[in-house]
Amino acid sequence: MDPLRAQQLAAELEVDMMADMYNRMTQACHRKCVPPYYKDAELSKGESVCLDRCVAKYLEVHERMGKKLTELSVQDEELLKRMQQGTGTA
Amino acid sequence: LPQLRDFLLVYNRMTELCFRHCVCNLNYRLLTAREESCLHSCAARLVHANHRLMGAYVQLVPSLLQRRAASRE
Repeated sequence: MDPLRAQQLAAELEVDMMADMYNRMTQACHRKCVPPYYKDAELSKGESVCLDRCVAKYLEVHERMGKKLTELSVQDEELLKRMQQGTGTA
Repeated sequence: LPQLRDFLLVYNRMTELCFRHCVCNLNYRLLTAREESCLHSCAARLVHANHRLMGAYVQLVPSLLQRRAASRE
């Protein structure tokens, strides 16, 4: 594949994934912070602050999950290599 | 690239799942120690579960495809 085209596709993919993350975050934080009582149109101060904190936490979790996933997949790759070496010498 | 897309979707789903389950204390902006520990376990469990699932799937699919091919004949 043309490297420029690959770069373009990767950038589009990143945008898609950020949009997907945003949608999931919105849903999760709405469930946690906004109770389903629709008598009043305005958000209370508590609900607003909850949403701010929820977004901060969600983004923190997103970052940590990324690091853990790479850590775990690196560990798995090493384990696989060791297994393959083991079966090779056996 | 389609594999990268799948991987990134799994990543997003994992984040959502572990967040929903582990983050319950919205009195603070930072993650509490309990939440951090829960997230660590959640991530590891999901990855191990996925591996196990894949192993089982890879084992069972060939016989399934064989049976389908045989029933078509």
